[in-house]
Amino acid sequence: MELWKLPAWKIAEEVRRGNLSASQVVESHIRRMESLEPSLNAMITPMPEEARRRALAVDEALSKGTDLPLAGVPVAVKDLLCTEGIRTTCGSRVLGEWKSPYTASAVRYLEENGAIVIGKTNMDEFAMGSSTEQSAFGATSNPWDLSRVPGGSSGGSAAAVAAGYAPIALGSDTGGSIRQPAALCGVYGLKPTYGLVSRWGLIAYASSLDQVGPFSRDLVDLALVLEVISAYDPLDSTCVPGSRPRYRDALKAHDLKGQRIGFLKGYQDFDMDDEVKEKLAFALRICQEGGAEMMEVSLPVSTGYGLPCYYIVAPAEASSNLARYDGVQYGLSEEGKSILELYLKTRGKGFGNEVKRRILVGTYVLSSGYYDAYYLVAQKVRRLIADEFARAFSAVDALIMPASPTVAFKKGEKLDDPIQMYMSDLFTLPVNLAGLPAVSMNVGYSKAGLPVGVQVVAPKWGEMEILKVASVLTDAVGSPKVAMGGEG
Amino acid sequence: MPLSFTPVIGLEIHVQLATVSKLFCSCSTDYIGQKPNTNVCPVCLGLPGTLPVLNGRAVEFATKTALALNCRVRNRTRFHRKNYFYPDLPKAYQISQYDLPLAVGGYVELTEADGSKRRIGIQRLHLEEDTGKLVHIASDGRLSGALYSLVDYNRAGIPLMEIVSAPDITSPAQAKEYVARLRQLVRYLGVSDGDMESGSLRVDANISVKVSDGRWGKKSEIKNMNSLRAIERALEYEIERQSSMLARGEEVEQETRHWDDAAGVTRSSRSKEEAHDYRYFPEPDLLPLVLEEGFLEEIAESMPELPWEVFKRFEEVYGIEPEDAALLSERRDVAAYFEACVKAGASPDKAANWIKTELFRVMNECKCSADDFPVRPEALTELLRKVEQGDLSATAAKDVFGLMAGQGLRLDEAIKAAGVSVGKVSGGALKDIIDEVLRENAEVIEDIKSGRDKKGKKVKFLQGLVMRRTKGQADPQEVSELLDESLNN
Ligand SMILES: [Zn+2]
Repeated sequence: MELWKLPAWKIAEEVRRGNLSASQVVESHIRRMESLEPSLNAMITPMPEEARRRALAVDEALSKGTDLPLAGVPVAVKDLLCTEGIRTTCGSRVLGEWKSPYTASAVRYLEENGAIVIGKTNMDEFAMGSSTEQSAFGATSNPWDLSRVPGGSSGGSAAAVAAGYAPIALGSDTGGSIRQPAALCGVYGLKPTYGLVSRWGLIAYASSLDQVGPFSRDLVDLALVLEVISAYDPLDSTCVPGSRPRYRDALKAHDLKGQRIGFLKGYQDFDMDDEVKEKLAFALRICQEGGAEMMEVSLPVSTGYGLPCYYIVAPAEASSNLARYDGVQYGLSEEGKSILELYLKTRGKGFGNEVKRRILVGTYVLSSGYYDAYYLVAQKVRRLIADEFARAFSAVDALIMPASPTVAFKKGEKLDDPIQMYMSDLFTLPVNLAGLPAVSMNVGYSKAGLPVGVQVVAPKWGEMEILKVASVLTDAVGSPKVAMGGEG
Repeated sequence: MPLSFTPVIGLEIHVQLATVSKLFCSCSTDYIGQKPNTNVCPVCLGLPGTLPVLNGRAVEFATKTALALNCRVRNRTRFHRKNYFYPDLPKAYQISQYDLPLAVGGYVELTEADGSKRRIGIQRLHLEEDTGKLVHIASDGRLSGALYSLVDYNRAGIPLMEIVSAPDITSPAQAKEYVARLRQLVRYLGVSDGDMESGSLRVDANISVKVSDGRWGKKSEIKNMNSLRAIERALEYEIERQSSMLARGEEVEQETRHWDDAAGVTRSSRSKEEAHDYRYFPEPDLLPLVLEEGFLEEIAESMPELPWEVFKRFEEVYGIEPEDAALLSERRDVAAYFEACVKAGASPDKAANWIKTELFRVMNECKCSADDFPVRPEALTELLRKVEQGDLSATAAKDVFGLMAGQGLRLDEAIKAAGVSVGKVSGGALKDIIDEVLRENAEVIEDIKSGRDKKGKKVKFLQGLVMRRTKGQADPQEVSELLDESLNN
C-alpha cells in the first residue's frame, strides 16, 4: 500500500487502531520525499532522522495508551515557523544556521497531537514573493509541471502536499501566500481570520496581515488541522481568546440551500486566464445547482486599490520586522570597521533583491514627510476595503473569487517584472487587508493538465461557512489528485 | 541697558518601574549586578518569531503616577514602534508610545524658597521599554577609540515611564526641586525606587536662553546628570555658557551635550547630531490598550496620601515648622513613623526633633527604612515620655536609644544596659557624688576659692563632671545649688 497517498485522518485512524505504526507511515513519506526532492526542491531542511525518532516516540506513547488525534501524521512546515533545535531560515541567507530555542505554537499544537514534522519547506525569502523562486535555497518546481512555479510564497508547502511528501503542511498567508500556491498546486489551502491562529514562532513579514494556515489534499484534513492549530495562545496578544468550533462539522453540508453566494460583478473583464474564468464559472454553477442564491457583488476599492494599499502596508511593517537582522546577535554577521559597516555588509549580503526592494519601499513610506501621503492613506484605504467587504457580506454569506488570475506560470517568466509578479495576488491580498478567512481549492485542471483553483471568502470568523461551501464544491469536483512530481 | 537672560528649561524623566517582570516578557526587573545576558529570554532578546505581551502591572503603576500628577489618563491608547539601528536595541525598534500616550496634561506644584507656589506642567506620561547596555572595550573606555563593544541585554525590556515636563522651569534650583518632588512621588507610590545613581531615574534637560532684546537661543539637550546636585550644577553651567555666547552675539547651536561631573562642564557629544527619523508606526503585535471600566477608579481608590498632602497636613494639623514638615514627609516610611509616634502620645515637636536627628542618624548608618527600624514608634514615644517626666536626661536617652536601635533591646533592657537608673539622682546621693568630684579636683577648688575663676568656667567644668558621673540623671539646677553650697563651705 502506498501510505503516502492516504489522508491524514485515515493515517491517524489506522495508527491509533494499531493497524499501522507511525514509523511505517513516516518511512513511506520520507521515501516519497527523497525520490522526488531532486526534481522538486520543495524542502530547505528535510528532517528524515528527526521524523524517524519522533515516529518511534509516537508509537511508544500510543502503546502506553496516550490518545493522539493526529498520531503518525507527517506534516511539512514552512521554513518561517520556528522549530526548536532545527534551523529556521525564512528562505534567506541572513539567518544563517540560526536555531530557535522554541517551537511555533501552531507546530507545537500539531506535535502535541501526534503529528510528525518531516521537514521545513522552501519559500520566497521572508515570504515576499508569489513563485518560490526568490529563495536563497533555489526555486521549487511545480509537481504538475517541473518547468513551472508552484506559486508562493508557501510554494514548498503546497508542492510537498501536492506531491505526497505529507498529507498536510503549514504555511503562512500575508497577501495570498497560502491560497495562490494551493491553487497552482491543486490542493486545499486555508487562510484563517486574522487572530484565529497564534503567530508565536511565526517569523514576521507583515505582522498585521500574517496568519498561519494549513494545506491538505483532503477537506476533512484541512478542517482537522485547523481545529488543532487554532487553539487560543496567550503568547500572541492578537490571538483572540475563546473556544473554536469543531470545523469538521461544517463538512456535513451537501447542499447550499438558503445560502447566498456572491461573485465579482464583471469578473469576465478582469485580466485572467480564460481557463481560470471557465473554472470559476463552473464553481459558481455548482453552487447554484447546490441550491444557493447567486448574487453579483462589486468590490471596486478592494480590486482597484487593494494591491497598492498592500504594497505600502506590508513593506512598512516588513522594514521594521526585518531590521533586527543586523549581524549583532545571531545569523549572518559580516565584519566591519564600524557598526555601520557591519550593518551594511551583513544586510547587503544577507538579503535578496525582492526583500531589499520591500525594505526600501517600507522605509520610504514611513519616513517623515511621506508617512501621511503613503502609510496613512494606505491605512485609510485598508479601512475602506474592510468596510466594502462588510457591506458585501450584509448581502451574501460567502464570496467566490479567483485564487490566482493565472495557472502556474513558467519559471523565470515574471522574475524580472515585480509588478506582474505582484498581480498574482490581486484577488487574495484584499482578503488579508480585511482580516477575513478564505479557503483556496482545486476545481479542475487546464487542458495542459495544470490545476485551477478558486477561493471562497467569508466574513470574519466565517471558517465554518467557507468549509461548508468547499464541501459542496468538493462533492462535485472530487478531492485533489496527487501530483506525479516528475516521477515516471 | 544691560541685557538680561532668562533660561527656559524642560525635563524628560525616565523612571524604571518596580514591577516584578519586564514590560513585555516574564524576565525579572532585578537586573543590576547580574552576569551579562543572563536576565533575558527570547522576547526581550527580540529573537525572530517572538511576540510581546503587555505587563498589566506597568500600566497600573504608570496610571497611578499619572493620576497623582493630575494628568488626564486616556481610556484608549496604543503602542508605537520607534525604529532605529543600535546594537543595544535587540529588535532595532523600541516599543514606545507616540501619538496617544497613556496620560497628558498634568502638573507638579513646587514651593519656592520664598514660600510661593509654582506649577510645572506635565505634557505627557507614557510607557516604553528600556534598551540594553553597551560596554566599549578600549584603554580609555571611550567610544571613539574603542576596539570593540560588548552588549548586555539584561536591561532590555525593563519598563520605563517617561514623564515630559512643559518648558516651565526657569532656574536650576527649580529643576532640582521638580526632580526631587517626582522622585519623592514615585517612591511614595511604590512604583519605582527612584534611584538616580543606579539609573532608575534618569533626567535629560532641554535648555535654552531668552535674551531681553528679543533673541532666543536654540536649545541644548543635556544628558548624564546622575544626581540632584548634578542637575543643578549642569544647568547653572549651561545657562552661563549659553548666556555668555548670546551676550557676545554668537549663535547657540542645537545639540546634545553631556555633563562631566568631575570637570563640572557640559561637553558637546562629538558624534554628529543626525536628524533622526524614527519612522514611528502603530505596533501591530499589540492590541490597542483599552482601560477596563472602573480601572481608573480602582487606581484612584488605592492611591496613598501624596507627599505634598502629607506635608500640608503635618504643617496644619501638627503645627510643625515647614522645614521639619518637609523632612518628615520626604519619605513615606518616615512620615508614617512620625504619625505613629504622635498617635502613641508623643508631642509632635519632640517626635519631630528626635526623628530628624537620632532616627535619621541611625537610619543613615544602617541604611534601613523606618518601616523596619528596630525602635518602633511606641517605644520611642515611651522613651520621650521618660525624658519629659524627668526620669531620663536627654543625653542618657540618646544612649538608650542607641542601644535599642543597635542591639534591638527593649526600653527597660536598654536603660539597664546603659547603666542609667530610672529616676533622678538628687539629695544625699547627689551630694555624695559632688563630694567625690570635689575630692578629686582639689586644685580646681583652690583656683576658684582664690578668685581666679572670674568667668565661672571652672565651676561649669565641675558641674559637667558631676553631670557625667550621674550619667545625666541629675537636675542641673540642683547640681548647681549643691555645688555652690559645697564650694562656699
Ligand atoms: Zn525577557
